[in-house]
This record gives sequence, C-alpha cells and structure tokens, in this order.
Amino acid sequence: MRDSWQEKIKLFWLHGIPLWITLFLMFLCLIPSDSVKINYFRPAVGLICVFYWSLKRSYIFSYISAFTVGFFMDALSSSPLGINILLMMLMVFVAQWLAHYFQNTSFGAGWVIFGLVGMCAFALKWLLLSIYYRMLISPDEIIFNYMSTVMFYPLIAAFSEWMQKYLPQERIDE
Amino acid sequence: MVRRNVLLIKTGELKVLLRRLFIAVLFFCSIFFILLSTVNSPLISGINKAALRITGPIMQVVEYPARIVHRAYTYLYDISRIYIDNRELRAENKQMLILQNKVRSLEVENQLLSRLLNYVPPPEANFISAKIIAESGDNFTHILFIYIGNEDVKKGQIVLGDESVIGRIDAVSGSYAKVILVTDINSKIPVVVERTRARGILSGDNTSMPSLIFTRSTADIQEGDVIVTSGVGGMFPAGLPIGFVSSAQNNEIKVETLADISRIEYVRIVDYGLTAAQVEIFDASLESAKHER
Repeated sequence: MRDSWQEKIKLFWLHGIPLWITLFLMFLCLIPSDSVKINYFRPAVGLICVFYWSLKRSYIFSYISAFTVGFFMDALSSSPLGINILLMMLMVFVAQWLAHYFQNTSFGAGWVIFGLVGMCAFALKWLLLSIYYRMLISPDEIIFNYMSTVMFYPLIAAFSEWMQKYLPQERIDE
Repeated sequence: MVRRNVLLIKTGELKVLLRRLFIAVLFFCSIFFILLSTVNSPLISGINKAALRITGPIMQVVEYPARIVHRAYTYLYDISRIYIDNRELRAENKQMLILQNKVRSLEVENQLLSRLLNYVPPPEANFISAKIIAESGDNFTHILFIYIGNEDVKKGQIVLGDESVIGRIDAVSGSYAKVILVTDINSKIPVVVERTRARGILSGDNTSMPSLIFTRSTADIQEGDVIVTSGVGGMFPAGLPIGFVSSAQNNEIKVETLADISRIEYVRIVDYGLTAAQVEIFDASLESAKHER
C-alpha cells in the first residue's frame, strides 16, 4: 500500500513537471525590475509553455493544466477572471490538433507555427478585452508584447526540450 | 481483450465521453467566470483574494534572490558614484534650505488666513509603507503586488510612489495587496488641472500614458500642465500630484506620470479614513461613468 502511494506521488510529480515549470517561469517573469525596457519586455511565458507542451507532450499537459495556468495568469493580472483561462484552453485545443501533423516538426517550424498561433491568441485576447471594457484597447503595446513573446519562444522551447529528457515518454496510468 | 459494458456503453467509450464532458465543463467555467466578472460578483472577488493569498508568498520567495542580486549591484554602483553624488547633494541641500524657510513662512501665513476664514481642513491622512514584490507579467495589465504585513489596508486606498500617485489598492488578501496602476485600463481617478482647476477623470488605457477624459471642451489645458487629484468623491486627498500633460491634440489629452515605477522599491499607501461604504459608492460612480463613456 505504501509503495502504491509513493508511486502515485511520483507519477503526479512527473506528469506535473510541465505545469510546475510553466508556473515557475510565470512567477519568475513577475520579478520587479528597475529597467523600463525590461518592464515592457515581458513576454507571455504562459502562452509559450502551454503551446509547447500541448504540441510536444499533449498526454501530460492536459486541459486541467491549461486551466490552472490561465487561472494564475488571470489572478496575477487585472484582466477579468476567465479570459486567460479560456485563451489557454483554446490554445491547448489548437495545439493538440496541430500535434497530429506537426508533433515531430523541426525547431524552426515549431517557432513559425507558434508565431501564427500566438498572433491569433493575442488578437483574440485583444478582442475579448475590448468587448469586455467596451472600448478599443490600443494595439501598439499588444503588438510589442506579441513580438517579444515570439522572440522569447526559442529560449523557453530550448529549455523545455532539455527538460523533456526527464519526463515519461508516454502517459503512465499506475 | 474483453471490455466491460456499463449501461450498454463500453468502459473505454465511457472514459472518453466523461473526459469530453469534463473539458466542456472547464470551457463553460471559464465563460461563466467572464460573465460573472462583468457584474462584479462577490464570488469573483473571493476567488481573486484566494489566488492572491496563494500567489503572494510564492512571489515573495521567487523575488527574494533577485532582490539580493539587485541590491549588491546597486551597492557597487552607488560606491562608484559617491563623490559626484556628494557634490550634487551639497548643492541641492543649499537650495532646499532656502525653500524650507519659504515653506515655513507660507505655512504660518496659511494658518493665519485659514483662521480668519473659519476654514475646516480635510481629514489628515496617514501613510503606510509597503514593499513591491511583483509586477504585472504582460502588457495587457499594469499592476503591482505589494507586501503589507499586518497593516490595515483597504480596497480603494491611494498608492504613492516617490511623492506622486501611482495607483490604488484593488484587492487585499492576508499580508498581500494588488495595486492597479494609473496606466491600467481599470484605473479611473478624479483629477484637476493645477493651473486652471479644470476637472476631469484620469483614465488608464494600458499604454504608458493615461488619458484625461470628461473635461470641458472649452477647458484651457496646455502641454506641461500639472495634474493633481481633485478629491472629488471623497475617495482621495486633493492636491496629490500624478503627472503632467504631455500632449493635448484633437480632444485627446495624454498625461505622463511623474513617478518612474520601474525605479520604485517601496510604495506609500494613503489611509484617508474611508469606510467600506464610501469605497463602494466611489466604485459604483466610476463604473457608471465607464458605461456612459
């Protein structure tokens, strides 16, 4: 019995690694900086991680993980609760569908796909927020945020790819 | 491999069905949360407070090593500048002494005139210092997270950077509070142009420069005019500086904030002795103003 519980905790930990990494990186990006430039260069790390893990390891990055990431993104911002949750879950939906065709794609192709999917995600978020606030939000900073996110993708993706060595190669259900 | 049937459905199919149902429930929850947010539901406020209570300590732990590295760098940088700083401060001190004497004489004059007019001064404000532990993670929001310890901080209280307004308290949970900056889209602050006393609302729009709205079209507002809190609504003390007009063209007035948020480590929260009811009335009036817009 004791072994079984230990095994369950180990599995929970292993399957949760992508989620733990995502949350850790999100918190890391919240560290206050005394540079104005860095303050504006804050990529949407959550979005990158959700896309990457859903594309590469969809069996261990579920909708619950996306829901959790979105929940914390909403809690750590002033945007209405639910916007980022919905966005992250849609991201998982799209990435899992894309995984059928592009799971073993090259690093560069993954980057290009993220660029396109990320653009749609940012546009959707901008649209949802504009509807919520009943005013058109200035797109300038959002475009800059999108560009910094796309530029930051290789760094997060390379780190995640390195982390993949420590993850189970397929879903283990006990 | 033999599969068991449960209510004429194979267990494998049942699992898939349940999984899809669960995903649909999660999607429904997210839309439900958005709809609830539009009506300022207490449930959403409770969830936000709970999330702040969970994330607050984590952010403080993550921020701590970064703060140490930053302090070490600042210490070394300050040492390298010590001679120049000392010379500049001596010159500044001379100027300040002259100004101090002027302020003293004006204060005495002000007291005398107030007595003559039977003027009732506004309530005195207390200040609470708090440390910034995190900043917003994206460009869609402009917020700060601060550690307030055991201090009695309430929603709606104004937050000062160096000496100017940077935002107001949005949520308090345990030892942590969320501050909505003046640049955030949710920020609406009643202000007045110091030179002409023209009133308006400083409205954040998620850009680095908030807009001045609800001003009279005939109001004389020029570039460089200082914007201060008006104190209308009794929410904030009047006369606290926020920024200055950076551009006033085509009925769009942009304001540049005085405080450089990126250089602030600690903030001051103004306790103006407000009741929860006053805060609610203020929020409701701003909400209706937002809808009118």
